[in-house]
Amino acid sequence: MASAAYKNGVNAIRKRFRLGHVLMFLVSCIATIFFLFPIFWWFLSSLKPFGKIFHSPPVYTGFEPTLSWYRTVLLNESYVTQEIQSTGAVTGEGGGSYYSVPFLMNSIIAALVSTLIVTVLAAMAGYGLSRFNIRGKVHIVFWILSTRMMPPVAVAVPLYLMYQSAGLLDSRLGLILIYVAMNLPLGVLLMKSFFDDIPRDFDDAALVDGATRFQAFRMVALRYVWSGLAATAILAFIFAWNEFLFALVLSGDHSRTMPVAASTFVTSYGTEWGYLAALGSTAMIPTLLFILFVQRHLVRGLTLGGLRE
Amino acid sequence: MSRTVTGQHSSDKPSQLKKAGAIWDGPTPWLVLAVLWLAVFSIFPFLFAVYRSFFTFSTQSGTFVPAGLENWVRLFEDPRVWNALAVTLKYVSLGLGIELVLGFGIALLYNQDPFGVSFFRTAMVLPMVVPPAVVALMFQLMEHDSFGVLSYYAYKLRLLTPQEPFLGGEGKHAMTAILLPDIWQWTPFMALIILAGLRSLPRDPFDAAKVDGANAWQRFRYLTLPMLRPIIVIAVLFRVIDLFSKSFDYVYILTAGGPGRRTEVLSYYDWLTTFQYTNWGYGAVLGVFMLVILVIFGNVLIRVFRLRW
Repeated sequence: MASAAYKNGVNAIRKRFRLGHVLMFLVSCIATIFFLFPIFWWFLSSLKPFGKIFHSPPVYTGFEPTLSWYRTVLLNESYVTQEIQSTGAVTGEGGGSYYSVPFLMNSIIAALVSTLIVTVLAAMAGYGLSRFNIRGKVHIVFWILSTRMMPPVAVAVPLYLMYQSAGLLDSRLGLILIYVAMNLPLGVLLMKSFFDDIPRDFDDAALVDGATRFQAFRMVALRYVWSGLAATAILAFIFAWNEFLFALVLSGDHSRTMPVAASTFVTSYGTEWGYLAALGSTAMIPTLLFILFVQRHLVRGLTLGGLRE
Repeated sequence: MSRTVTGQHSSDKPSQLKKAGAIWDGPTPWLVLAVLWLAVFSIFPFLFAVYRSFFTFSTQSGTFVPAGLENWVRLFEDPRVWNALAVTLKYVSLGLGIELVLGFGIALLYNQDPFGVSFFRTAMVLPMVVPPAVVALMFQLMEHDSFGVLSYYAYKLRLLTPQEPFLGGEGKHAMTAILLPDIWQWTPFMALIILAGLRSLPRDPFDAAKVDGANAWQRFRYLTLPMLRPIIVIAVLFRVIDLFSKSFDYVYILTAGGPGRRTEVLSYYDWLTTFQYTNWGYGAVLGVFMLVILVIFGNVLIRVFRLRW
């Protein structure tokens, strides 16, 4: 009798447990569909022939997948060339303004180089802010944060004039310089909070042993903040890769980045959805790879290390 | 601990090695590059913007004409600014509120480790790595009034009518149209930050509260929320900065401030003033105005929640 009641109880608990888990799983699935659907739709569109992209009701299946958008965007083959190739003749005509590899290269270079500089500078400044008692440190930190509050629209004009006189307009270097400035505040705060987590005794021990401050930094402290460096690098890369307004104002034919190039596919004659979808889908790959390798650090980095009161 | 700016380096060990690295004993070399970089790209543009705000740009002569306080007086008399401010505040508060609630919900859910949580979490990172300009284009395709997949289902579910679509019509749903990409892209940011915060909470207080008979809601209200406060404040601060000034990408591509001025946020109005109407002086005023609002907000937030860096 007692044992039956016990069994019933256990079963009830098990059932509730299972029901709860199934519910949680279902809600997670719904959230994930919400996050993945637009990307799925964009990718699907990049494989659709012209008439099926702009179609009501929406087309999911039953079309002949095509790579022609990708061939134009990535291989510089025009639509006409592809037609001729399939019938045997070849012409030298290129994909024209839809050929996007140079724009992707500009984006990658600007994002990578600025990320590298940000990581180095942020590590040094973060260490400095963490290890030394500086008068008015709170104000310095808030000032650093406040530089991120400058609306890009407001910075764009002074920057344009600065760059004009310095000959930096339409150059990758110009973009790199401003991307470093844009990502430094977050990087410095992030690195400071990571260094704050390491006891000062570690550095002091090295100093007592005769190491210089710089050696203590490079050989001791830096070893403990790898995940902080990774988080800084990831965030700096994402924000530089995503940046639109500065690139729109400061870049030209020689330095146009991918987001700006994508926006030029919207013409007064209509939007080239096929090319856009192909470019957008391709552009997700670099950051995606980056993220998959170092996701753990991203999550930790987003909380600014393990920020406490 | 008591290492000061002036330092006591040279007194203890005057070895050759120590001397070579002695410059690193003060905070200056650590900070100088980052601070200079930020100064060049933030203080200079800021001072320049303030300076320019006292001039008007004459398109006829191509020169700047002193205008005294004219631009500043105009700020307070321009009904478009107040409309833009209202639109911006609506956008920021709706976006922030929805992202915070959804993000918190998802973080709490994923913190329970539902089956497949690592996949769900990885999928959630994807929206953040698509450049906002490309996201805006994705949503333009999906929100198109006759061929958009979202419009199609919204019509089916009677959420929208073809007379009042996402984009176009009288613009009743234009705010929704520009909020959707933001919510889609940045809810994961909130969720990841809060999730990382939840993961870093100590277990003991929760066990103690359970023993004392606190129910789940009480534990959430009196333990989880207060302990997560600093992390939530940081997340809110960064989101507000971006919602406030970087909503530009979505507005620029999706609605161009329309229909009418229903979605004309401050950053877009500043853009129009500066680059379309070439009124650089007044554009500078608008930029400084935005910066002032954000700096005040940031200060208040940090003071009220007593955040310490």
